[in-house]
Amino acid sequence: MTAVQDDRATSVADRVAGIRRPPPRTSTIVSYGVIIGIAVLGVASFLSLDYSFRNVETTFDNISRFLASATPLEWPGWEVVATVGEGGTKSYVTEWAGWDPIIHVGGSILITLALVVAGTSLAAVLSVPVAYGAARNTTPNPVVMAVCRGIGVVARAVPDVALVVFFAFLWFGAGTLPAIVAVGLHSVGMISKMMADAIEQIDEGPRLAVKATGGSTSQQFWSGVVPQALPAWIAVTLHRADINLRGTVILGVVGVAGLGYDLDEALHAGPAGMRRVIPIVLIIIALCVLFEIVSSSIRARLLNVRPTGRGLGDSLVRAAQRRTAKPAAAAPAGPRADAVTERHRRIEAALHRPWDRARVTTTLWIWLGLAAVALAYLYTQPDLIRLVSGWRFDQVSNEALDRAVWPPNFGGRDLGDVLGAVVTTLTVAFAATLMAALISAVVGPLSARNVAPNHWVRNAFRGIALVVRAIPDLVVAILFIIATGFGPQAAALALGIGGVGLLGKLIGDSMEEVPNGPERALAAAGGSRPQVFFASTVPMSVPSLVSHLMYLLEQNVRSATLLGIVGGGGIGFLLMNALQGRHFDQVLAFLFVIILMVVVIESVSILIRRALK
Amino acid sequence: MTSSDTPVVQITGLGKTYPGAQEPALSGVSLSVARGEIVVLLGLSGSGKSTLLRHINGLETPTVGRVVSIGQDVSALTGRDLRTLRGRIGFIFQQFELVGPLTVLENVLTGSLSTLRGPRVGTWSYPRESRLKALAHLERVGLLERAYQRADTLSGGQQQRVAIARALMQDPEILLADEPVASLDPESSSQVMSLIREIAAERGLTVVCSLHQVELALGWGDRVVGLRAGEVVLDTPTNDLSKDKVMEIYGRVATTTGELAAIEQELAEVREQLLTEELRKGAHENEHGTDAGKS
Repeated sequence: MTAVQDDRATSVADRVAGIRRPPPRTSTIVSYGVIIGIAVLGVASFLSLDYSFRNVETTFDNISRFLASATPLEWPGWEVVATVGEGGTKSYVTEWAGWDPIIHVGGSILITLALVVAGTSLAAVLSVPVAYGAARNTTPNPVVMAVCRGIGVVARAVPDVALVVFFAFLWFGAGTLPAIVAVGLHSVGMISKMMADAIEQIDEGPRLAVKATGGSTSQQFWSGVVPQALPAWIAVTLHRADINLRGTVILGVVGVAGLGYDLDEALHAGPAGMRRVIPIVLIIIALCVLFEIVSSSIRARLLNVRPTGRGLGDSLVRAAQRRTAKPAAAAPAGPRADAVTERHRRIEAALHRPWDRARVTTTLWIWLGLAAVALAYLYTQPDLIRLVSGWRFDQVSNEALDRAVWPPNFGGRDLGDVLGAVVTTLTVAFAATLMAALISAVVGPLSARNVAPNHWVRNAFRGIALVVRAIPDLVVAILFIIATGFGPQAAALALGIGGVGLLGKLIGDSMEEVPNGPERALAAAGGSRPQVFFASTVPMSVPSLVSHLMYLLEQNVRSATLLGIVGGGGIGFLLMNALQGRHFDQVLAFLFVIILMVVVIESVSILIRRALK
Repeated sequence: MTSSDTPVVQITGLGKTYPGAQEPALSGVSLSVARGEIVVLLGLSGSGKSTLLRHINGLETPTVGRVVSIGQDVSALTGRDLRTLRGRIGFIFQQFELVGPLTVLENVLTGSLSTLRGPRVGTWSYPRESRLKALAHLERVGLLERAYQRADTLSGGQQQRVAIARALMQDPEILLADEPVASLDPESSSQVMSLIREIAAERGLTVVCSLHQVELALGWGDRVVGLRAGEVVLDTPTNDLSKDKVMEIYGRVATTTGELAAIEQELAEVREQLLTEELRKGAHENEHGTDAGKS
């Protein structure tokens, strides 16, 4: 009996041993390769940034010193007067200082918003032809496609700060024009890419139908493609406006008017200025949060356009519409001779679109949008004449002033220094990505409906991601830089924490989107919540997790470059030095390096994403 | 215009092989359609019906052979000329292919694009006569009241009627329909099919319509052209044809038992559809006032 069993066991074992294991799929290798790669590089970067205990101690010293000098807070409208009492103790009295500073801050808020709206709307318009050329299904030929995609990559890679300085130099005294054009050109990168993606994802059928009726290529685009890609275009533009609002903090460093400029001014105005820093930062954060709420509620409205209201108000409006619609719809039963005139009457009547609720809201939104853009341009009053005249190219290549654009050079630094700066920037990006990934590995899953044990936990972690995302990472960076002193450590910390907002949300969303059949099957088989999570949810969401991780890394490389500008070190710092000295040949050289760096990262990211499919 | 005795569509020796494909999608297809004829292309899916239809208005270019539509060699036309020809041929798709976010009226108006220059955005960018004409066509298909709704809020049958109005907007001489009712429920199907027939009669249209349901094809067309694996295997008028005879031919058309089984399955479905349709019709007559009566 046992002999027989043994016999069978060996034969099964033999057969199992004999099974040829299929080679692992490319996507599996790539997924785990990316995870391991980011982990290794992240740890290495983290170590090289030297977050030693002494550093942490100095950080706390810096923070307490900063807080001591920044308090009591001086809100606009009040003035903090220091009086030195007996024995050298200082006491502070906060006094009402009148409306002027409040009006000034109001003006700063308006100019900030106006610049964002003006620049982003310019980008939205410029993006349409670029996206048309970059999308695979609409591009006239491969050369145009390559050019348009190249425009997108370069626009994304060149920071708007660099463009502002350059344009401000070209059009000296052109007011807000350089900032608007710079924000506009830089934003074309993201908007055109996302819109090209949206165009590639449309349903081709309607376009084919327009083609079959004899529509020309441009008619096919405007009648068959644009209506489908329009919601995406508006959503991306709003999203970009959000990002640009955060970016104005950095633009302030190079003198663009607005809250960023006020902040920069306060940081450099001695002890009296320091007391204004925290209030300005809080105002910026509040403005960003408000803007985000408005833009995301508009986006949500756009994504489900169909009236699905179940509230009392909606029902009442619908009922009222039915009542008014009835007399028009119910045609009077006249004699047959009148049928033709009756038909004509109905058609004539239908020529004018009734002002129903849908039409009223659509029209209202369109006019609101146009009005916002028009007001933005009226308020900022860019000197548009300068676009066609008054370019000061001669100044750009003025040997006497030590200015030139060509040939680009590193201004005395050798290639090793520059590469070192690139490595510093990449170090910041990798360390930040690892940090964000580790925190998001907790925050993300727990904010997914199908993973969190109950809706309290889910809402709490969703809230964390939301709050972190609302705080502009550049503002965080400035605070950290103040706290830890200048350097890449501060930049990495800021980006790492800021990344949780993005990655945490993306992870949560993609875990909720996993098909939940297998989860239910495992739960039905008696699996505990963690078992279900590790056996079903995680393996099924790995490809999208890896793709999000690469996206965050891409973003972090760009942000790390920007943070260099406010003192985070790396290639951004070199760029800023060159910009401040108006050494445009060096600016160009560093921009080439940045573009190359971004292109390499993006290409790797595209290859990885393609391999994941 | 061509005179009435020359065929409106003349296909000779048409063959099409898609790049990378092993088998040709069409081979040696010759077909001529006279003015005012109602022709049904019958065949299982993958038999080449859609490919054949798309050659008639130049959405596909032939690998070999020649397609002459309304007196013009389709593959020799490019640019403006090809667009003008397409403008004279209406095309109805299985999936309707309306531009979902646009209003019904604007979708109908896109039918007049071949006569207009430049892109159009919004109803108001079309001339007033076009708008009046589009509304008249919408009235004809019974959807005038829906003119300003988003197209994707309509039911399948309604969307297909809008697509018919869009084709009418072209003032077509030929109407091509590619499985126009394959995505519709039986009731909408019969509505759409009889609408096409009525409109064809009103305007003396030439219609080439692909279908896969034998019963529907027999009751609807004047002439049936059977396709199998890209070849014409049957071409006969329907008036002297009994259902059994066509089934016999259709049976011969299928060579493998698998195909026969598929046909039988399809027939069973058709019978069931007809039955439910009759039942529903009966119910409607009892209630007085059908959907067609309302609109």
